[in-house]
This record gives sequence, C-alpha cells and structure tokens, in this order.
Amino acid sequence: MTSSAVTSAGIASDAPRSDFGRVLEQRERRFAAALLAPAFLALLATTTFPLIFLVYTSTFRMDLAMPFTNGFVGFENYQVLLSDERFWSSLLVSLVYTGSTVAFQVVIGLALALLVMDMKRGQGWFRIIAILPVVLSPAVVGMIWRTFMLAPEFGIIDYLAINAGLGSKNWLGDPTLAMVSVIAIHTWQWTPFAFMVLLASLASLPEDIYEAARLDRASAWQRFRRITLPLLRPAIVMVIIMRTMVALTAFAAIFTVTGGGPGTATEILNLYAYRKSFTELSIGYGSALAVALLIVTIIISGILFAMRRAK
Amino acid sequence: MTAKRLRVIALLAISMIFLLAWAFPIIWSVLNSLKTDSDVLAYPPKLFFSPTLEAYRDVLLGSGSILPNLLSSVIISVGTTVVTMLMAVPAAYALARLRFRGKKFAGFYVLATQMLPPVGIIIPYFLVLRNIGWIDTYQGIILIYLSFSLPFAIWLLVSYFEDIPFEMEEAAYLDGASRLKTLWRIIIPQVRGGIAVTVVFVFLNAWNEFLFAVVLSGNTVRPVTVAMFNFVSVEQTLWAKLAAVSVLAMLPVVVLGVVAQKHIVKGLTVGAVKGGGRR
Repeated sequence: MTSSAVTSAGIASDAPRSDFGRVLEQRERRFAAALLAPAFLALLATTTFPLIFLVYTSTFRMDLAMPFTNGFVGFENYQVLLSDERFWSSLLVSLVYTGSTVAFQVVIGLALALLVMDMKRGQGWFRIIAILPVVLSPAVVGMIWRTFMLAPEFGIIDYLAINAGLGSKNWLGDPTLAMVSVIAIHTWQWTPFAFMVLLASLASLPEDIYEAARLDRASAWQRFRRITLPLLRPAIVMVIIMRTMVALTAFAAIFTVTGGGPGTATEILNLYAYRKSFTELSIGYGSALAVALLIVTIIISGILFAMRRAK
Repeated sequence: MTAKRLRVIALLAISMIFLLAWAFPIIWSVLNSLKTDSDVLAYPPKLFFSPTLEAYRDVLLGSGSILPNLLSSVIISVGTTVVTMLMAVPAAYALARLRFRGKKFAGFYVLATQMLPPVGIIIPYFLVLRNIGWIDTYQGIILIYLSFSLPFAIWLLVSYFEDIPFEMEEAAYLDGASRLKTLWRIIIPQVRGGIAVTVVFVFLNAWNEFLFAVVLSGNTVRPVTVAMFNFVSVEQTLWAKLAAVSVLAMLPVVVLGVVAQKHIVKGLTVGAVKGGGRR
C-alpha cells in the first residue's frame, strides 16, 4: 500500500490524494485552522508581541525611578551599549560561561556514556542517579551549592579543599573562583542530560559495524574515532545546540549563587539585562541589552546550525 | 590479565565517583534538613548525628510557613500544564497530520519562538501586566509561562503524533466518523503515553521556573523557589530550615523524575535526535 510508505516518512503532506475530493480538503484546512488557532494566538501574544514591544521600548529612555526623564531616544541606547564596558565584559562572561559549560558537558557526558555502555551491570544506577540533577530547579541547585557545598569550612567542597591541603577558599567572593564555581555548578546539573542523550544514541548504534571492525582488528581508539564519533555526530551537535541555547540564557543558578558578583565577575549578559531592568529600573536600556542578547543568540545558533548542515 | 583487572577497577572507581558527585549534594541537603543549626555548622561536617524533624515542623507549621508557597507552586504548575495541554494537543495534531498551506512555516514558527531569551519576554510583559494589574496574580504568571511551555509541548507531541499509522485514521473516516470524533476517539488514545510524558515535562518546567516568578511574584503569588530566599539574608542564614525548604521544593520533581525516568530519557532523545532533525 502506498500509505505505508507515507507513514514511514511521517510526512502528512505527501499523503496521496484520496477520493474525498476538494470539499474535504477545504474542510481539512478549516479544521486545521480551528485546531491551531488557540495555540498560535497564545504564542503570538506571549512571544511575538513581547519581541515587538521589546524592540520598541529599547528606543526609549524608560527609567522607573526617574519617570520625568522618560522619552523617545531613537538608537541612543544602542550607542551607549556599544561603548558600555559592562556590556562587553558581560558578553565575554557569557561566552566563557557558555563555551566552557557546554564543552565540559559534552566531553564528560560522552566519556561517561562510553564507559557505562560497556558496563554489564549497574547501568540502572546511572540512569536513576543521572535523572536527579536534571529535574531540579536551577534556583534550588544554586541555593544548595551556595550554602551546603561552597560555604567556608563546613561546606563540603571547602572541607575537601582544606583536607587536600589547599586551605579554605573564598569560593564565591573571589572573582576567578566565583566564575569557576558557577561554571562547575552548571556543569554538575546538566552533564547528566548530555550523558543520557548520548547513552541512548550509543545504544541505538548498529552492532554489526563493530563486529566487522573487530574482525578487521581495529583498535578501541580506531573504533571510537572512525565509527562511534561519526555515527554519534548528529546527536553530539544537537546536544551542543540545545545546551548552548540554555547556557546563554542561564539565570537562576547564577542569580542565587553569586547574583552576578563579586562586582560583575559572573554577570552574564542575560543577568546584566535583568539587573539593569529590574534592579536599576532602567527598562529602556535593559531592553536594548535584551535585544543584544537575542542577536548574539541568533548569530551563535546560526553558526551551530551551519555546523550541523556541514556534513 | 592483571593490567586488565586494574583497568576494570579504575573504571569502576571513576564511575562510582561520578555517581557520588551527582547524588551527594541532594543527599547532603536531606541530611542537613534533619539536623539542628549547630549540627549543620559543625566542623568537620557531621555524617552521623541525632536526626530531628524540627526544621520541617518550623517551615511548615511555624510562623512564616511555606505552605502557602508550596500551594502557589502547585497552582501555577497545574494551571500551566492544563492550559498548555488544552492548546498544544490540537495544534500538534494539526501540524503532524493535516494538510494546509503554511504548515512548514507554522512548524518553523513554533521552533523559532524558543529562540527569544526569557529576559526579553519578561521586560515588556512586566510593563503590560503592571498596566492591567496582573502582577502578583496567577493568570499573569500562567499566561507568560505559555511562552516556553507551549512551543516545547507542541514540538514534543508532534513527534508522538507522527508515529501513529495513517491507516487508523483513514479507516475511521471511511466509517463516517467526523474529524473531531476521530481525533478524540482514535488518535488521542494512541498518544496517551506521549501526552503523559509531555505533561511531566511541562509540569517540571513550570515548577522549576525562576526568572518570571521572581519578577511577577508578590505577597499573594509566591512559588517556593522564590520564597526560599526568606531563609538566606545578609544578617543570618537559617541553615536547617533552608535545607528543609530545599528538600520540599525538590521532592515533587524528584519523585516525578524517578517514576517517569524511562520516559524522560525517551523525551530527551526524541527532542535531540528526532525533533532536532526535523526541517
């Protein structure tokens, strides 16, 4: 039957024209419109409308603390932004944070997936434990790390550092250590995600290729390099894309742990836009920062999607 | 032979370290929630102590109880899940199964809406909701939660709808069933599993959300993730109580996560392998 071919392709628009005729086709269109309308109206209201309004407010001076200075300023916010050192520093923090956390997640997640894949027993433990950090609220995770893990002396990480002979550290008060901490926390929470996705992809790879490779006496490294990695590439790139989008707009785990501090040491662009808008109440400029973040997101995802298509 | 054995032991040790690293902060919070403040602050950290439920009693029944906040979290999460599913199921069905012009664009639009950074949504929405007096209301928070829950739910559900064989629908039409009846009687039961997974994901995301909640919450609507901050102030941190609140905030999502573990992994991979590969 033709329809079975259609089903395996899973694309409804390729379905063969049935005998129901044009009337039914028109009826189908109306039915589709009725089904789609509520969701698309909600999406328009909660995503497209705010985007337009955001761009609009970014051309205003809108200071909730000093409303008498408010007014249309054109592109002034963007001019200010380009010469704003705090903007460039937050952009750099964003890129370092995103780049390092995504790299750690993929490398550790992949290594662990390869390790667990070969385990004959105990895979179940990994599957259960790995789900835990992923389902937690980043705000709660941040709070736990800030207090019970990183507090001086009785925090476990500091306790371990003291026993390792490193001495007690001011994990969240020192700019470098604070950055290391927020990166470690994000990596802790989201590596299991990469691990689970890559483990599932590994499990779906065809076994016979490995058999053939073993018969050809390919070494473990060769098998990894020549078979596993190329076959896993789509999954790896997808994990990179998904995690990058999340890391760029990470908020809660940094907000609760350092609040962007000390100073602006851990202030990613997302957090800067928030602080400008809701702490300093400078909504117009905050909007411009949010637009800048959107542009950065689009550029980076453009690069990543091009990478995916490259092969 | 010994080299191989050594390797096995090393790998086992590495995997144990990772298991411990992931589980420990959660276990440690649970332990701390059963301590007194002085036991929490003890140096070296106490692994053995006489457990007490005092912290739980205080945060649940004491003054400044977080019960209203837990209730807030439940109302927000359940409300978001119900509204999202009512809109997402029909939309996903249409995108997966029906023929109409602009279908490709509609699918792309759903994906593209996820690009907008949340901070870019909350800034304008804060102004709008303030104008219509919807700050610190459930309808305000649930409305804006649709911005992230809807695209995700639609996109996940589409992948489940696409797995149903076409023959089932055609047989139903031939029997003269209406489209709506077919959807309700034939299709929906087929994707029950997918709907359950989507419900879990939407609930988790709503329960865990923080940025929108921190901007829009007030004295009436304040989910537990925001209320948690009451226990850490510049002057003092209420250690054991904070641990107890953290555990209470983690409890529902951890239970859901462990119960739905297999499906969550499937949902994640549907997203990573299939969902990402579409269009």
